[in-house]
Amino acid sequence: MLRTVELSRHYQMGRSLVKALDRLTLSMVEGDFVALLGTSGSGKSTLLNLIGGLDQPTSGVLEVRSRNLAGLTRDELSVHRRDTVGMIFQSFNLVPTMTALENVALALMFAGVPKAEREGRAATLLEAMGLGDRRHHRPRELSGGEQQRVAVARALANNAPLLLADEPTGNLDSRTSRDIMQLIQTLHVRDGKTILLVTHDAALAATYARRTVTLLDGAMLSDTDA
Amino acid sequence: MTFRDTLALAFRNLRQSRLRTALTTLGVAIGIASLAGMVSLGVGLQEQVVGRLTQSGVFDSITVTGGGGPLAAFGGRGGPMGGRGGRGGRGGGAPAVPLDDEALTRLAQLVHVRDVFPNLRIPVRISLDGSEITTSAAGVPDSSRNEGAYQDMAHGTFFTAGATDECLLSVAMAAQISTADPTTLVGRTLTISWAASGPIAGTDPAQGPQAFAQRVDRAFTIAGIVERDPTAGAPAGFAGVMIPLAQAREIHASLAGGPQSIFQPATSTRSYTTVTVKVNGAQHTQDVQDAIKAMGFTAFSLNDALKGAKRAFLLLDIILGLVGSIALGVSSLGIVNTMVMSILERTREIGIMKAIGGGDGDVRRIFLVEASVIGLLGGVSGLLLGWGFGRIINFGANVYIESQGGTAGDLFSLPWWLIAGSLAFALLVSLAAGAYPARRAARLDPIQALRHE
Repeated sequence: MLRTVELSRHYQMGRSLVKALDRLTLSMVEGDFVALLGTSGSGKSTLLNLIGGLDQPTSGVLEVRSRNLAGLTRDELSVHRRDTVGMIFQSFNLVPTMTALENVALALMFAGVPKAEREGRAATLLEAMGLGDRRHHRPRELSGGEQQRVAVARALANNAPLLLADEPTGNLDSRTSRDIMQLIQTLHVRDGKTILLVTHDAALAATYARRTVTLLDGAMLSDTDA
Repeated sequence: MTFRDTLALAFRNLRQSRLRTALTTLGVAIGIASLAGMVSLGVGLQEQVVGRLTQSGVFDSITVTGGGGPLAAFGGRGGPMGGRGGRGGRGGGAPAVPLDDEALTRLAQLVHVRDVFPNLRIPVRISLDGSEITTSAAGVPDSSRNEGAYQDMAHGTFFTAGATDECLLSVAMAAQISTADPTTLVGRTLTISWAASGPIAGTDPAQGPQAFAQRVDRAFTIAGIVERDPTAGAPAGFAGVMIPLAQAREIHASLAGGPQSIFQPATSTRSYTTVTVKVNGAQHTQDVQDAIKAMGFTAFSLNDALKGAKRAFLLLDIILGLVGSIALGVSSLGIVNTMVMSILERTREIGIMKAIGGGDGDVRRIFLVEASVIGLLGGVSGLLLGWGFGRIINFGANVYIESQGGTAGDLFSLPWWLIAGSLAFALLVSLAAGAYPARRAARLDPIQALRHE
């Protein structure tokens, strides 16, 4: 599913060179659930952004489903983001002026799915997330947990095989965090989704992930199975 | 992402900031109103001037004379007042092309020709209430009924259709006949006399051509008085009285010719000095004129003068359009400003769209369509605004013009091409104004955009 070889992401900040990710070699198989653990600045979000096609590596190999993202154009990367990965963010990243249904359907709109079909699929996903009666609410009318459920539904809209979750419980209370993590685990176990979870919470990683990769200063510190 | 979805998203985004969208649209509307209003004024003035000139009937008329050549002199029987005979005596190498009835038939068959008639001027004497005046009688075709001087009769009406015993008088002639009150002449009967030819009793026509003249009197009822002199500038000169063309042709055929006419064979074709060819619209005048020249005739029209007037108005339209465009140029900056502000406000939204699969092209299209919608809405509103202001100004101007004794008219004209052109221009300007913001939005780095607060 995923393979990185000597993957680096460096950038210039003033006069100094920042090595956000430095020669990282990592692989994930189909159906894996990997937690990326590390302190702030360890490079875990950088790796997630690279895998998600939001950023381009400085050097190295980054293959998702045997396709090297390093050589893709901007348009090809947008297709990768649309079809191959589903992203869940700490701050939910929902369009505030759209309803829950419209937010989920927006992902399908870029795929060219007809309106009636995308609204039907979005409604089904929201129903599955327990938000059937909240579909016409805007994000500000939803709780944090509900917003994150909407975000999960959106990530699942295009049926992407790889889910990238960047601190999905970072803005939630402990009970809601548990609900969201159980939802993600269900997607992994029941639907066979490959999950890459970024977190700084070792306990959370140990509870839900099959494997934990710890980063430090852009390099791998450890790679352990649960 | 389909165009329909892009359009729906664009409308949705514009609705989110109603006031800003409305103000930007108003800016475009003022720009378009200014542009369309200015050009509309130029077009309106052009239509007023050119239209009136065209209606006068001189721009869709071609005066045709016979082809040159010494034989032309023998083309007819030699009428005394230019009504007969070719243009002889030019002495050239070109063969004569008689302007006879056969030529009239050929001219009438040309494309875009709607009427052909000879310009007949017959020397006559008119008698009424004991006074006799020598003048010319002109043959007027029925097709002139609503043209030129015959559109607005000073008194009475044009000939009754098919009438053979009616005539019209020029204002000058009416005043000459009845200095007290020319209007009382309408409905009265006058006598028109002319010199006609005929065989001398007791002579044998088989012995050869001969000529003599006898006075013929015929009564005509005065149907109307023409305000303007309809024969002013006409090639055959002034005519104080006008009679139906059929009558004029009949009289013309019976006129006593000059001495040379006795040398013409009895079977010779009658020719006319000049013929008027009327075309379907002044725009065809040049084509028909060229075709007539190709037939060997000499033809001229006042179309060149009309062309000059049109060129001058085109220049005026361009200048007015450029002045009007200044406001549209300023309003286009408003579109740029609105779109840039929109990008700043929606940076995070753009990041989200990109993160879930929106491509650069999708984002660019959304912003371009938003700019286009502003442009088109502004265009439509501007046209309505311009039209409304035009009507108000037109109303005020007409009130003033009428108070000064002038004739009211439409100073502003909004033809379909100006409507379509204004909308297209509004769209073009808004697309140009939206191009930079759209490109900027499309090139946004998704990570930076997602971090934007």
